[in-house]
Amino acid sequence: MKIGNKFVSRFRPAALAVLALALLLSACGKVSGTQNSAQAGAGAQNSPSAPASASAEPSPSAASTEPILIGVTGPLTGDNAEYGKQWRKGFDLALGEINGEGGINGRPLEYVFEDTQSDPKQTPAVAQKFVANPKIVAVIGDFSSPASMAASPIYQRSGLVQLGITNSHPDFTSTGDYIWSNTSNQRDDAPYLAQLAVEVLGKKRLAVLYLNTDWGKTTSDLFIGKAKELGAEIVAQEAYLSNEKDFRPILSKARDANPDALILISYYNDGALIAQQRQAVGLDTTVVGIGSIYSPQFIRLGGEAAEGVFTATRFYPGESREEVQRFVQAYRAKYNEDPDNFSAVAYDGIKILAQVMRQYGAERKAIRDGLEAIQDLDTVLYGKASFGPDRRLENPHFLPLIVKDGKFELWQP
Amino acid sequence: MSLLSVRNVHKHFGGLHALRGVSLDLEEGETVAIIGPNGAGKTTLFNLISCEDSPDEGEIVLDGRRIDSLPPHLAAARGLARTFQNGRVFGNLTVLENVLLGAHTRLHGLTDPGSRPLGALFLSLREIACCLIQPRRFRKLEAELAEEAKEILSMFGERLLPRLHQPAYSLSYANRRRTELARALALRPKVLLLDEPTAGMNPTETEEMTEVILQLQRRGQTMLIIEHKLELVMAVAHRVVALDAGAVLVSGHPEQVRSDPKLIEAYVGKTRADLAKENAALALTAEA
Amino acid sequence: MLDQWINGLVIGNLYMLTAIGITQIYGVAGVVNFAHGSVYMFGAYIGWMAITWFGWPLLPAIGLVLAGSALLGLLLERFAVRPFAQAGSTILLLTTIAAGLILDNAAQVIWGPQTQALRNPLPQWYLQLESGIVTLLDLFILACGVTTALILHLFLYRSRAGWAVRATAQDRDAALQMGIDVNGVSRLSFALAGAFAGLSGLLVGLYFNNIYPTMGASATLKGTTAALLGGLGNVPGAILGAYVLGIVEAFSVEWLGASYRNLVAVVLLIGVLLFRPSGLLAPRRALNPEPTAGTFIPHGRPLRFPRWVVPAAAAIAAALPFALVNPYPLQVLAIGWAFALMAVSLNLISGTTGQISLGHAGFVTLGAYASAIFTSRLDLSFAASLIISPLVAAVIGVLLCYPALRLRGQYLAIATLGLGEAISLIALNWDAVTLGPLGISNIQPPAFFGRELVSPVAQYWLALAILLAGVWIVHRLTRSHLGRAFRAVREDEVAARAFGVGLSRYKSLAFGVSAFLAALAGVFLAHSYSYIAPDTFTFALSIQVLTMIILGGRDNLAGAVLGAVLLIALPESIRFLGEYRFILYGLLLIVMLRFRPYGLLNSTK
Repeated sequence: MKIGNKFVSRFRPAALAVLALALLLSACGKVSGTQNSAQAGAGAQNSPSAPASASAEPSPSAASTEPILIGVTGPLTGDNAEYGKQWRKGFDLALGEINGEGGINGRPLEYVFEDTQSDPKQTPAVAQKFVANPKIVAVIGDFSSPASMAASPIYQRSGLVQLGITNSHPDFTSTGDYIWSNTSNQRDDAPYLAQLAVEVLGKKRLAVLYLNTDWGKTTSDLFIGKAKELGAEIVAQEAYLSNEKDFRPILSKARDANPDALILISYYNDGALIAQQRQAVGLDTTVVGIGSIYSPQFIRLGGEAAEGVFTATRFYPGESREEVQRFVQAYRAKYNEDPDNFSAVAYDGIKILAQVMRQYGAERKAIRDGLEAIQDLDTVLYGKASFGPDRRLENPHFLPLIVKDGKFELWQP
Repeated sequence: MSLLSVRNVHKHFGGLHALRGVSLDLEEGETVAIIGPNGAGKTTLFNLISCEDSPDEGEIVLDGRRIDSLPPHLAAARGLARTFQNGRVFGNLTVLENVLLGAHTRLHGLTDPGSRPLGALFLSLREIACCLIQPRRFRKLEAELAEEAKEILSMFGERLLPRLHQPAYSLSYANRRRTELARALALRPKVLLLDEPTAGMNPTETEEMTEVILQLQRRGQTMLIIEHKLELVMAVAHRVVALDAGAVLVSGHPEQVRSDPKLIEAYVGKTRADLAKENAALALTAEA
Repeated sequence: MLDQWINGLVIGNLYMLTAIGITQIYGVAGVVNFAHGSVYMFGAYIGWMAITWFGWPLLPAIGLVLAGSALLGLLLERFAVRPFAQAGSTILLLTTIAAGLILDNAAQVIWGPQTQALRNPLPQWYLQLESGIVTLLDLFILACGVTTALILHLFLYRSRAGWAVRATAQDRDAALQMGIDVNGVSRLSFALAGAFAGLSGLLVGLYFNNIYPTMGASATLKGTTAALLGGLGNVPGAILGAYVLGIVEAFSVEWLGASYRNLVAVVLLIGVLLFRPSGLLAPRRALNPEPTAGTFIPHGRPLRFPRWVVPAAAAIAAALPFALVNPYPLQVLAIGWAFALMAVSLNLISGTTGQISLGHAGFVTLGAYASAIFTSRLDLSFAASLIISPLVAAVIGVLLCYPALRLRGQYLAIATLGLGEAISLIALNWDAVTLGPLGISNIQPPAFFGRELVSPVAQYWLALAILLAGVWIVHRLTRSHLGRAFRAVREDEVAARAFGVGLSRYKSLAFGVSAFLAALAGVFLAHSYSYIAPDTFTFALSIQVLTMIILGGRDNLAGAVLGAVLLIALPESIRFLGEYRFILYGLLLIVMLRFRPYGLLNSTK
């Protein structure tokens, strides 16, 4: 007994260290080939997990019906989980269509969604995981710019395309030629909104409230630049934190500056809160919000206060463009609700990759080269579009919307 | 000149005047016992001397320099060591580590507190560097201190030496108090303050402790002891100072103090006989 | 300015409810309950289900919320608090955090992550003031808050059960001796606190027409700040504190801008802790009560292992890249080593020196930003920055912490939490230096003598090398007289300083070394991620690192490393669980805390 105890206590720490390593190595076994997009209750349409060994395989295109994998990094849990959920809807719809048409040259297309909580500490690890899996030929993600950019160097160095679908940090694509994005540059969004507010709606005294993130700040700066150019005065400019709920003080301040329009550079959650609370301080002006407030959630959360709010968006389900209608009908049929911006860009993201793969091949380098070379991609958001020299899609167009009778509608001046 | 001089110190706690003009002198090599009923201000006085607290009025002088406005760690650096009424060893440290901590101030050139912030920064960096590099002089000093610690602990016979590497919380109460004393001795204090060193000890343990204190006395240690046990006081004290209600009641040789009526009254209260005498005296003066 | 006063009162109204709950629980269990926010959130969801799904009117819905949240509070008490009651407030802090994690993620799994609307069923009556309105809901909330406080007061001071609660709060052992059913008291308190938390959640959800699974987090923070302002354990104080907080925030928005709001709240928090730790209502700075003799909190002894184990482990770690071809585990381990360094550094202040810190991420942020700025803008080489940035970060870190060092226990913990948040918020607002929310991008990869270290293997070795250096430093320091001094400070500050260990000096020393090493980890991560932003290293990270050292064993160097590796490897290896990942993580944490409360590498004696 004595010897036993001594043995145990002597080697327990070593045993624990071995246990730790074992846990880690067991995780390696799950690296390649496991379809681990969280299926619980989400009803995703992915095919079941295909077992695969950890060692590198010969070129995947040798097997003619092996699925092609796209890696997705994004938030499934945590503060931004709802956006990850919207992404999945877009992905699944796109995949259903692509595979229904026979996949990529006969091979089915699938995605593997790894939850990173949009946390920059987790994205590099996932990046390595994807890089090490030879079946993954391209990656979509992450949700926020910090999370995406923390992983970009890994993708760039390893030669795996990272397609960002919701990060709009101006420096995102600058990490290297494997980093691409189909989000519009804020350089286009914000000035359009300024035109809407100043030229079209004729507002001259603007109170700007913006989310204090990289996205919010850049967009706000661009908006203000253009607005001033067009002759408007910025009477108030207030940044707020992303978890802010109470906007009364900031709205009081804005009201005191006597604006004729309230400009929101917000997401739909905070946007809805601001819209609601402005009445409480007696701020009765027109509200113009940037495209990210465009979502049925804005109306659901904002209630009556959302009535009369303007926005501009690249994507509107009521838009008569053929590709938009096709997408919206299919989405409504599948999910019984209207798509929002996040599901639309997700849909587009997969579709873009699919088109590139069909034309240029489903290998990592080929995909990168394809993105550069391809012209006139079919997208929902942009119609026919190509990537510019900054590896972003060019020339998006915008639509002005207004909330009327509890719905977003196209606005005619 | 006395080694330790307490001059007319006052201390208030809110409305309570805890010490009223207490003065006390301690010569080198002397053992002075402080006695008095509970609440007399004995521990408060200790706290002032060891700089746990500072007097509202008055001075405390150690070896010719004022210490009453110093923080406790500087008082320790000047050569003051104490034990505490409740016994405060470092529970999760071993006996040896406890005693070695007592010698902290003796790591000269290492643990000197700097007077100005920049000096403190430099000294701190030096201290860190020393611990990282551990030059020979430093290691030698540590080894010497360890030897000395064992020597101090041997004063307690076989009580603590076999338990050198046991954590202090596992010791018996009496052993913890002994460790505390050993720690204080490791500082090589000029003045040693013992706050009820035998509190909670049974007669055998008390006798052992008395022997230890006498041994220290023979080595010439200057001590100030708070005690309730009169046998101990009689055995070790050169002088006794009795406090009551924050003031010195009587002071002098143990025998003298012991039979002082004022002291008896303070401890015990007046006897009925005395009360009757007093009333009679009052009645007489009233009549007159 | 009238409307900012009103704005302040309105939001203070909302803080009040949470503050009352937090202060009451602290008063009884002596712990700041980090799961409070989760019960708050569940209450909101229960109410939402009642109102939106079942169509109930407000009052019955409130009844259901009170009942459901009370039940949740009971469950919390039974599984996350009572088994750990003897383990000390630090463990309780962690178990409540773990419980909160489980509840938050469970809510996400059950109801989905999206925000839900919660329409206000009250009539739309409002009071029109000069420049703002006060709605019926505002008044209703006020009424609820005041009623709650009144009920609590009557209960605590006029009923026998309340008297039992107060007695237990003062001295649990004595209460037990007096025949008070302390377990019953504990249950009652948590049920009450849970009920009020749930009610607050519902009312706030109604107010904003907005509920979501992570809504509890900021509620806890604001509620705790308000409770502290009023004095922990003081219910009327919590009300006052909430209104004061609300007004201060409203005016800071007016004068400084909304982005500074939380920073001002944090500064207020720290100010209160430093100058009025018993709250604004207390007359004077209260003296800490002396610990009575014999109340030791044993740490457990570190398990001893033979001298060859550590070099062997280091050798194995260094050789790992040769065995593993797959870069994924190397990447995970590289991050693991960086976290191990953070854990080792936190262990120095929290484990060895006994100063609980909840703001460790602040030091990491300082180091990361310093290096990013020095290398990007001042063209400093990576190698030089590796030494200089942590030094700068350490100096700044110590200066910031210095005033808080005289605080103890939970007050210190909260102050450090505030400081960590403050650093994040300063990084967010100080655009000129840190580029604010944009963060610093394109940070160059690590490089020595012109050679860039970009491969996973190279970064793995770099991380390992830095870790080993840090471990060596901490090992040398804690084996020396300095270690003795630090531990003495942890064990008994009064005795320590009576023997020459100046508290400010040695605590600063510990914080300084710790900050240096944490900043070093930050430097590595900044150059590894190539992009840092103010929210890269958050409060969640501080908690994660604290969990690592509690898991591995306090004051146990090997334990810190092991804890880090386990807690980094664990979520990665259960990644396949998807949404359930963090629920399992929280459960494992509680189990580990239950069966090895001293940590994995400390003996259970």
